[in-house]
Amino acid sequence: MIELSSLLEVSLGHYIFLGLFLFAVGLLTIMLRKNMIVMLMGVELLLNGVNTIFLAFSHFSSHTEGQILVFFILTVAAAEAGVGLALAVSIYKEFKEVNISFFESLKG
Amino acid sequence: MANNPIVFFPLAFVIAVAALGVLLASNPIFSALFLVLSMVCLGFMFLAMGAFFLGGVQLAVYAGAVTVLFVMVLMLFDLKDNANPIAKGLLSRFLKVSSIGVFVGLITGAVSLTKYYPVPVKAADPSSMESTRVLAVGLFRDYVFAFEILGVLLLVIAIGVVSVSRIKGGTHDRA
Repeated sequence: MIELSSLLEVSLGHYIFLGLFLFAVGLLTIMLRKNMIVMLMGVELLLNGVNTIFLAFSHFSSHTEGQILVFFILTVAAAEAGVGLALAVSIYKEFKEVNISFFESLKG
Repeated sequence: MANNPIVFFPLAFVIAVAALGVLLASNPIFSALFLVLSMVCLGFMFLAMGAFFLGGVQLAVYAGAVTVLFVMVLMLFDLKDNANPIAKGLLSRFLKVSSIGVFVGLITGAVSLTKYYPVPVKAADPSSMESTRVLAVGLFRDYVFAFEILGVLLLVIAIGVVSVSRIKGGTHDRA
């Protein structure tokens, strides 16, 4: 018998499922969309889902290592967005569109 | 405070809807704006979880810098509303969605079968100064080597981005 109060109480599981949802939506965005910039946004959603789970574990277990990892992930995510957008710009310069299917003809 | 359902559920709802908006909006600008909304609400959720410094960084770096970068590039491209933004192929769409469904199901099963689930709630949230101080001690003493490596990585990325975007003749220099 599940009581309503236990459903309303926020536990670690709620945060895990929120992070899992963000991760799944990010993966769907990467797989389904054609625009490369929207795919990069999907990568950001994915990393944010991971960050949420890291911080939730850090919060519920009183360890700060989770926060330090999230700091590193934030920095790497910003760098990754910069590189991805530079690649998108170089695709746009050649094809006037940022469709991901042009990636296969990208060579140096 | 993070365990307060009045704080958690509205924020989680807005985050989830905004994430779905990123996936479903046909105009990339709307995707970027939904991404900003999701990032801002996540930042507030980080604040509620007691990670005050990371909440601020999330608001300033993610919602501020990264998404502004996205919007700037979108403005540079002047993209029109795409008629069919989703990749073609009914079978491949089905396979993609179902593989993600299997993935989510596996994780859900693993989490709910874990012996230590749910982790007991700890006693009290640390104050904002205390949590920021602990994070700084970790960053600048225990993990200072990784921190320095990260600085080198950012330098390499900055040089690489400039050199990629300054290649003459785009990516197909046939000369």
